[in-house]
Amino acid sequence: MRKKQNRTQQPEIDRRTFLTALGWSGVGLSGLIAALGNLLYLKPAVEYGPPTRIRGGKAKDYQEGIKEVLENERVIIVREKRGFAAISSTCTHLGCTVRASDAGFECPCHGSQFDNDGFVTGGPAPRPLDWYQVSLAPNGELEIDKSVKVPPETYFKV
Amino acid sequence: MPITAEMRETARGKMHAESFSSRFKVFWKNVYRSLFRYGRMPRDAEGQSYAVFNNLFLHIHPVKVSKHSLKFTYTLGLGVIATILFLILTFTGIWLMFYYFPSATEAYNRMLDLRSSVDFGFVLRNVHKWAAEAMVAVVILHMARVFFTGAYKPPREFNWIVGVILLLLTLMLSFTGYLLPWDQLAFWAITVGTSIASYAPVLGEPLRKFLLGGDTVGQEALVRFYVLHVVILPGLMSIFIAIHFWRIRKDSGLSHPNENGSSARGGAT
Amino acid sequence: MREVNTKEVFPKNSNKTYGLMELVKGTKPTVGLQPDDMVFTWPHLLIRELVLFVVVAGLLLVAAFLFDAPLEEVANPNHPPNPAKAPWYFLGLQELVSYSAFAGGVLIPTLIVVALILIPFIDRKRIGVGVWFAKQRAFANGLFFTFLLVMLVLIIIGTFFRGPNWDFVVPWE
Ligand code: HEM
Ligand code: FES
Repeated sequence: MRKKQNRTQQPEIDRRTFLTALGWSGVGLSGLIAALGNLLYLKPAVEYGPPTRIRGGKAKDYQEGIKEVLENERVIIVREKRGFAAISSTCTHLGCTVRASDAGFECPCHGSQFDNDGFVTGGPAPRPLDWYQVSLAPNGELEIDKSVKVPPETYFKV
Repeated sequence: MPITAEMRETARGKMHAESFSSRFKVFWKNVYRSLFRYGRMPRDAEGQSYAVFNNLFLHIHPVKVSKHSLKFTYTLGLGVIATILFLILTFTGIWLMFYYFPSATEAYNRMLDLRSSVDFGFVLRNVHKWAAEAMVAVVILHMARVFFTGAYKPPREFNWIVGVILLLLTLMLSFTGYLLPWDQLAFWAITVGTSIASYAPVLGEPLRKFLLGGDTVGQEALVRFYVLHVVILPGLMSIFIAIHFWRIRKDSGLSHPNENGSSARGGAT
Repeated sequence: MREVNTKEVFPKNSNKTYGLMELVKGTKPTVGLQPDDMVFTWPHLLIRELVLFVVVAGLLLVAAFLFDAPLEEVANPNHPPNPAKAPWYFLGLQELVSYSAFAGGVLIPTLIVVALILIPFIDRKRIGVGVWFAKQRAFANGLFFTFLLVMLVLIIIGTFFRGPNWDFVVPWE
């Protein structure tokens, strides 16, 4: 193509530099997209674990002040005057399983202690134990949804 | 003495035998020469050079090395020991794969089988385990040797960095292998270890999920750790060890007290 | 270079695009003037490697027959052992984690790796290379030694002096 006559300024970068840069950007971008695709592929998409909604039995079977440990679910069901709570038994420090104690809960791994509401009273744990949402299934059983966390002290009134 | 038919017969047999054995010798020599072009135990400069230069496995080495680098008290042999441990771990690891199964219900049983039923199963598992522990220690000691002899200084900066990558790979290999027996030790060490990752700001929690393939240590985590442990990390390790060795040669061999200013850069041995 | 062997030890092979050029008796060409201290890899280096291999393989076999690799009960997510410990080389970090999970688990390891990578770009003066604990390097060596020592002490504490609830215990009691 012939140069336009009326061009007054030299371009800042010449055609060759521009096309080279364009080419390399294309290569770089495709590489980036491919890398991203591979990463997304590896990102866990499907939960293969046990279901997150679990049943906790009839509400009236629980007495006040009880701490019922559902071992395999890593959940502790607590009944207080204020209602029901489902507290996670996974220690917020490094993931060990806490057990119920007189004062609340304690973790055997590095000695974290929690009170009855899961607040830290000692040890290295940085936050209170997780609270899960409790609701009532149509047949009157308690239902705990481990995928929904609620703020501590959100008791569920039956 | 008249030659009897019988004598002729034996003579012919002997001649035949001789020519067979000599032909076999020639054949054997040809086979050997097709594999190794120079004598078995070369004693002259030419043979000794070619023995290294013409052998795929030996030519990682330069033909000549400095006496200083051969002194045991200089390197303590630590880099070579790390390499040997890696080779032994690769060998025993592949052998263990014939019985191991990365399943949360099966893995532990396979460990018990290796211990009690499989012939020499305990030897392979024990060698793999102790070599792995030793490798972590030896690599750290090798790094200490390199530091205390000032061997990371120019022109060897890059090889020090390759070394840091090798140290991290060694730790990751050891850590991923730790989960595979699926016993209490394994499960809780990985639970605790991966929880530490989640304390990293922003990236921590996703990284932990990524590693475990879920929220907790379970079947998904076992498969992911298995793939990392038997394919990805050993592959990366081999590549970086190759770079490490190549760089030693491009940096004019091992560090040396008489090295002067600029001449070592870019030299090849 | 004092003596040069001009004989064609490695005759040119027209089938190859590369080859050994010549054998030079004398100093290593890249290093300059110094006494010749080069020896042949075969056999001097190879025999050392072979010996090391035999020793390492032998020791591992003996260890394998004498000591069984640990295997505990099958994994049970409901019953953490008390205390739960990471592999030994991470126990120094776990010890730090017991004071602060972020500092011990993330900050300090990251700093260590970054510092290790930066070492050869910070300390570039080519003095004291090739000898153990060179006097001119006393400061750098002292620093690195302290670092190794601190890690070692932390690992020993984590391994032997931490019992149930990560409480301090004395191993010989
Ligand atoms: C899988 C781990 C490693 C293997 C297999 C390995 C192997 C080796 C070998 C065989 C040598 C030859 C000299 C000797 O034996 O000491 C060497 C030298 C060297 N290594 Fe490594 N190494 C590893 C890790 C490291 C680490 C962690 C560092 C440092 C961060 C490092 C830095 C170096 C440097 C700078 C040299 C050159 C030393 C000199 O010139 O004196 N390597 N390595
Ligand atoms: S995991 Fe519970 S205190 Fe560390």
